[in-house]
Amino acid sequence: MRNAVINTVLEFAKKDKKIFLVAGDAGFGVLDQFKRLFPERFLNLGVAEQNMISFSSGLALAGFCVFVYDIIPFLLYRPYEQIRNDICYQRLPVKLIGIGSGITYAPQGITHYAVEDIIIARSLPNLIILSPADSFEAKKCVEFSLKSKYPVYIRVSKNIKENIHKEFPETIEEPILIKDGKKIAVLFYGSISEEIIKVIKNLNLDVKFISIPMIWPLNFKKLLSLLKNINIIITVEEHFKEGGLGSIISEFLLKNNIRKRLIKLGIENEFIHSVNNIEGLRKKYGISSQDIIKVIKEFYG
Amino acid sequence: MQNFKNLEDISKKIRRLIIDVSYKAGSPHTACCLSCVEILVALYFYKLRMKNFKKRDIFVLSKAHAALSLYCTLMLRGFLSKKDLYSFYSDGGKLPAHLDRFTNKAIEASCGSLGHGFSIALGMAYGYKIKKDKRKVFTLIGDGEAEEGSIWEGALFASRLNIDNFVVILDYNNLQGYGFVNKICYFEPIKDKWQAFGWDVVVIDGHNFKEIINALDKPNNRKPRIIIAKTIKGKGISFMENDLKWHYYVVTKDIRDKAYKELL
Repeated sequence: MRNAVINTVLEFAKKDKKIFLVAGDAGFGVLDQFKRLFPERFLNLGVAEQNMISFSSGLALAGFCVFVYDIIPFLLYRPYEQIRNDICYQRLPVKLIGIGSGITYAPQGITHYAVEDIIIARSLPNLIILSPADSFEAKKCVEFSLKSKYPVYIRVSKNIKENIHKEFPETIEEPILIKDGKKIAVLFYGSISEEIIKVIKNLNLDVKFISIPMIWPLNFKKLLSLLKNINIIITVEEHFKEGGLGSIISEFLLKNNIRKRLIKLGIENEFIHSVNNIEGLRKKYGISSQDIIKVIKEFYG
Repeated sequence: MQNFKNLEDISKKIRRLIIDVSYKAGSPHTACCLSCVEILVALYFYKLRMKNFKKRDIFVLSKAHAALSLYCTLMLRGFLSKKDLYSFYSDGGKLPAHLDRFTNKAIEASCGSLGHGFSIALGMAYGYKIKKDKRKVFTLIGDGEAEEGSIWEGALFASRLNIDNFVVILDYNNLQGYGFVNKICYFEPIKDKWQAFGWDVVVIDGHNFKEIINALDKPNNRKPRIIIAKTIKGKGISFMENDLKWHYYVVTKDIRDKAYKELL
């Protein structure tokens, strides 16, 4: 998925001389080609994230179309205030490409995980939040970001084994129907698609699956039309259970007095001390394909 | 010195405006505004090329708690109306205490939190340089602000980028929010620090036009420049000079009248 993102940036950079790529000392093997082809439009601003973000907003003020590439905690958490004041407050369409969504950096530890980034990004007015489920969505996300007049945060999985789509979705600006069904709707985004693929393969029930690459702003109108006549919603996310998509949906249902059952699956809001790989952590927090199937069956009858 | 009579007159006018607007608005940071008046006057009435606005030189006020000083300068330079200036800091007014770039086309960057404007300006300078745009970028930072890690992050990279269109001015008045800079941290030797980071360093008297202008005019030699401007906080009004409380105290009518007598 990382490559799909960078290859799209690269493809557009060939035509558009304003595209500039800034890296925070990350991107070995991923950014090499960009660096080689456009040395004058690439900068490694090192392990100095505050300066990196403000500097990027300065490049945007000077007329460049800036992509910033870094591991999510160092891209979004460390320089939070620079993103708030210099990018979002100044309404500059800088594109923040965050690598390692959820626990896809496992077993590197919590310092490298991004399990609260949606909560943090949601606190920033003007910031559009995208979390592609596979390479097809990732390319469309980059294309969207290039047209956007607002800053965009694209949270990208470190690696993704399998695409959930067979072809490009028409748009990533609204919830995408992956598989139709009538009884229960499963909403998901980002790298947990790997588990959803297994769920779809192993589950022979009348369940609907919806991918939501654009988390904020969320097209609720489209979502509601997809949820028509469905009374049980299960949100699955590789993110803290409280504060992510599940919370966004529950706020929406409550605000609009819509009565549907909502089951939120996600990572407990706690620091992860255990040493696990991705599969191990998904099992630990009940978001592996078996766990998701178990929950679907529990509410299906 | 006779050459700078005009700039000195403008400085006096700006000081009077700062005092009057502060009094009417009830705003703090009066002394912070007074230490950088000559620097702003030298920039806006001598150095910055602004005739062709689209290709203008850029100035970013990174120590944006001195926003009022910039607003007063911009008014005299014709970018701001008197009405807008006097709405500063007031309920429903046009101009906020710290800078918002959407309030006026001459406000280049929104600043307020320290250590941001410096790196924004650095990014702008680099952007213009690789576009082969001849625009120069200037930024003013405070000495307290220079304690921010982000300043030193940017300092470490700027000289590596061969940025020769970037000039930083340090308003070294030696007073920050809650004490003397040199008592709070190990600030000196500040010239050596910047030199060690690969910068071209000039130390001047920040109230002397001849020295300011010489430093601004000196061509950059493939290096970013920092002008360490030794200044006096509260400069121009004897009872405000070097006194921490004028970082915060509000100008009353009596104070204004007393200050005016020193600004004739």
